[in-house]
Amino acid sequence: MSAHATHHDEHHHAPGFIRKYVFSTDHKMIGIQYGITAMLFLAFGFYLMMVMRWSIAFPHQPLPEWMSWCFSDGWKARWLQDGKVTGETYNMFGAMHGTIMVFLGIVPLGFGAFGNYVTPLQIGAPDMAFPRLNMASYWVYLAGGLVMCASFFMESGAAKSGWTNYSPLAGFADGQIVNQWLAGQTQWLIGLVLLITSSLLGSVNFITTIINLRARGLTWMRMPFLVWAMLVTAFLLLLAFPPLEAAGIMQLMDRVAHSSFFMPSGLFTKTEGLADLSGGGSPLLFQHLFWFLGHPEVYVLLLPAFACVAEIIPVNTRKPLWGYKSMVYSVLLLGFLSFIVWAHHMYMTGMGAAVSTFFQTTTVLISIPSVVIITAMLISLWGGSIRFTPPMLWACAFIPMFGIGGLTGLPLAFNLADLHLHDTYYVIGHFHYVVAPGILFGLFGGVLHWYPKITGRYMSSWLNHLHFWPSLICMNIIFFPMLLQGMAGFHRRWYNGGDAYLDKATAATGDGGNVFANTVAQHIDMNILMSMGAWTLALAQIPFIINLFISWKTGRKVESDNPWNATTLEWATPTPPGHGNFTFEPAVYRGPYEYSRPDSEQDFIPQWEKPRQSSPAETKPSVH
Amino acid sequence: MEIPYIVTPRKDTGLFNSKIAIWLFLASEVMLFGGFFSAYVFLRLGADFPWPERTLPVLPGLINTFVLIGSSVTVVFAWASLKMGKWRHFQIYMGITIACAALFMVLKAIEYNVKFHHQAVRLTDYTVVEGHLGYEKENGEYVLNHHGSEVEENQIRIESGGLTFSTVRYHKPWVEEILSQAAHRNAEIKLAADVTARTSEGGNQDTLIAKAGEPLSLELLATIQKAHLKARAHNGALRTASLREEWKKTKAENPGKRGWQLASDVNIDVKALEEAGKLLTEISTVSFTVTPPVRLDFRPRDVREGETQSRLRDDTVIDGKLLPSPMGFHYVDAIDFRHLAMKAVNKGLDPIAAVENSWLIQNHTFAREAWEWNKAQVAKLEADLLKDHGVNEETGKPNREPTAKERYRIDWKDFVAMSDGVNRGEGKIALKEEFMGPDYKGREAKETFPMHFDLPREQVRFASKFTPAWNTYYALYFTITGLHGLHVIGGALVLAYYLFFGRKMFNSNPEWLANRVEVGGLFWHFVDLVWIFVFPIFYLM
Repeated sequence: MSAHATHHDEHHHAPGFIRKYVFSTDHKMIGIQYGITAMLFLAFGFYLMMVMRWSIAFPHQPLPEWMSWCFSDGWKARWLQDGKVTGETYNMFGAMHGTIMVFLGIVPLGFGAFGNYVTPLQIGAPDMAFPRLNMASYWVYLAGGLVMCASFFMESGAAKSGWTNYSPLAGFADGQIVNQWLAGQTQWLIGLVLLITSSLLGSVNFITTIINLRARGLTWMRMPFLVWAMLVTAFLLLLAFPPLEAAGIMQLMDRVAHSSFFMPSGLFTKTEGLADLSGGGSPLLFQHLFWFLGHPEVYVLLLPAFACVAEIIPVNTRKPLWGYKSMVYSVLLLGFLSFIVWAHHMYMTGMGAAVSTFFQTTTVLISIPSVVIITAMLISLWGGSIRFTPPMLWACAFIPMFGIGGLTGLPLAFNLADLHLHDTYYVIGHFHYVVAPGILFGLFGGVLHWYPKITGRYMSSWLNHLHFWPSLICMNIIFFPMLLQGMAGFHRRWYNGGDAYLDKATAATGDGGNVFANTVAQHIDMNILMSMGAWTLALAQIPFIINLFISWKTGRKVESDNPWNATTLEWATPTPPGHGNFTFEPAVYRGPYEYSRPDSEQDFIPQWEKPRQSSPAETKPSVH
Repeated sequence: MEIPYIVTPRKDTGLFNSKIAIWLFLASEVMLFGGFFSAYVFLRLGADFPWPERTLPVLPGLINTFVLIGSSVTVVFAWASLKMGKWRHFQIYMGITIACAALFMVLKAIEYNVKFHHQAVRLTDYTVVEGHLGYEKENGEYVLNHHGSEVEENQIRIESGGLTFSTVRYHKPWVEEILSQAAHRNAEIKLAADVTARTSEGGNQDTLIAKAGEPLSLELLATIQKAHLKARAHNGALRTASLREEWKKTKAENPGKRGWQLASDVNIDVKALEEAGKLLTEISTVSFTVTPPVRLDFRPRDVREGETQSRLRDDTVIDGKLLPSPMGFHYVDAIDFRHLAMKAVNKGLDPIAAVENSWLIQNHTFAREAWEWNKAQVAKLEADLLKDHGVNEETGKPNREPTAKERYRIDWKDFVAMSDGVNRGEGKIALKEEFMGPDYKGREAKETFPMHFDLPREQVRFASKFTPAWNTYYALYFTITGLHGLHVIGGALVLAYYLFFGRKMFNSNPEWLANRVEVGGLFWHFVDLVWIFVFPIFYLM
């Protein structure tokens, strides 16, 4: 404690409702705010996808009332044609689905919510290093999200050029809108700049907190894996996002100042004729800057899920995390390599064989640390006495589901195979396996794991089963056929699911002159199965929502402050932790996963428990 | 609760919190500006037009460089003064730092402002003409737009007889502009025909929404828009319900068949809906007549002009003859053939012949005279370079040759030298002109610059002020220096906060204030460092 402790104690009084629940500077409340907001955005993004899946499965039929009741007639008249989803609307929903899920849903849930709530507790800090900055980070994020989504109700509609927002397509979109500041495409960029500002504030705060606010005795190699993962995530956000911010600002200039950063010479469009622009810009430049963020972003999504799973597994196997050190080094290497793989998204741009080869090599390299981590998690299960608690169910499903997602990525890493698979449903299947049954399952596990600490009550196991099993099945029903459709050549942006390519006269009989039409005909019925899966998946989330809110008041109460008998510092706090977190000054005496030590009677030794005899073996971090 | 290590460093890391944070923040800033500098390299290497080298006035940029370096020194002095507990010295040094920031921004603002008024045009043959546009006059008075500002001689002029607005998309300020221009030219804009519509379900009689001859107004358009949107929403809901019904029926009739096999047979029975009087009238456009037909002016970016019909970006259709709409230059201050020469070389043509065949030289004496003067200057320069640097013995070519800029660009300083009767680079330029551009009024007597010059619209390929729109060089220049300027302003505000509101903390906890100033100073050094990169790449290279 520093000399001016007295100076601050004057201000120490119970905060009012607004300071406690709305403009809170407490990392735990901010974490909860992030979590709830992110889940609302996830639900919204999911809804957009449900509408898209209708258009894919039943392109000629009007949107059913159970999906369209939330729109006004005026809105429907503008964006639906006789109730059917138009190509333009599909593009709008698609672009916003991606944007919302990535930037407004999963990153804030993984990094914003779990990072904020758990990290300071696990390192024994009273709060983040800069609590007010932390609050600002949340509110800037919310503003960014609202700005993006508000454009759904503008004349222009929301952004409709894909979540990647490639120029020159994005440069021309909404070009007919006179006041460009009120065009969805511009609002998307403004929202993006706000989100980047938010994650800049957040990541600076996280890294400073982890470096400077660790409890006494918490050396680097005694940090729980979650803290490592959050540290690397923060560095990715800190360093990878700014080039996208640069790209966003340049694209904004292209829109409002009519510059040509990303607009090549001689552009001609049907609506505008020869573009009234200087030209001389480079669309490829945008792709480079976008993917310089875009690929590390994948790891920003993934690492918090890894982190949750890595915390859940040792607790529920009563066994140390296998290969903790290799996992730490792998996650660092993963963070580094993720900066030099970005152009594997751009094999089709004609950037040259040498460049492609370089990025192909680094992409194959990056699979090594990922596989080390996932393998370490798998081996951690071996020989453990596994307790299938609700969080453990999700963690166990995470490993194979993420495994499918990761392995299906390998063919995409090779540019020869990518030529065929690029921009097909295979790609969609691949990264949705990573993100949906992978990352989201890990995060669901995290919610169940820390819920007792946040509320003092367990979530219902019964409702969790009702949530988990249908989710697991539906996820596979949705995404596995995508891999098959993709290999057959289904393009990812067909708003009618391939219907336009059917040769109606011959497809029914299965033989006709048009080979592609036959291929489409063979695979098009999967669309209905996948869409049904998606809507059922929506139903399967209802038990979770009920569980989340009901358990807050009626869940089974925890028996102690450490209900899972875990070893890391967050379980040393009162339940729920008060402002300032710890009732004693935490000190750490050992590594993070000391389970089932043969020299101990208890099957776990918490990090904060003082060694009874000062035997040198116990004060050193234990390595397994 | 107390956050540790705000004032005193943590022992094992040796750092206090905000110091870690500022270094992380600066790392992020490096990546941000790194993104922009990569864009600079990428766009410059890939440019398909002659990159404007050394095109900005160096002197203001050079002064700014020293101003910023000076302020970086004084901010360190300010920090040191705090460490020594000398508040007065801190005030002086921090005051100088902030004054430097202000001076920097003033010079920057002058630089920007000069460019925002400077016009450039790329002709269809890629000749570039630079200068200033005149302002339109009628009856000896300047023409004003509806904001009351003068109208530049760069307008698409249309003898407008009729206007058709899109009821959903019409842009209010443009309607106001049209009304104001018509009033100025004593014309009336009236509704061409009665607007009637069925506004409620079942009504057999159409309601009169607006009578023919009613004058154009925003209120009228708003009324029609409201009726249209209501009808569109109503009809949409009806059609959707009907289509749903049709699908249900068709599916029941064809069990086992798939959606795409039935799609072509499922149609809404629009006729039935109409006969039942259920559909309301949608009024998507509304037409007005202009009596008598008068000239209306539109900014080139807002309009797609056609011989007899033009269209604004908000879907307003203007019926009427396109009038000659030249760009009126009032002083041309540079002629540039580099782009034209580059295109000629790419096609394997002789660049000199291409220049001499260009529309500008063929049609305008001033351009021809300037070109002849320039040719003589280039010949002289070639001879001088040959004399000074000799010939490469292996290739037999001269070691040094005039640059493309020297060969093909005649800028305002050359016009000055020409009228002074001296060689290139020897004309008398006043210091003020170095900052603000040529003094046209002062040089009028000597007829240094071509006075009025009308550029026919069909010769214009692309026109813009010297703004980000002109080319990627200016886009980068404005974006990077603009962002840097925002950093200067932000940094100066933070430092000014320490200066004006730091006294209380100085009394209670001087170390904490010193930490803050140190962190602010680190940021200030970074802002300086960015400029050290910006200055050479934009002003010197």
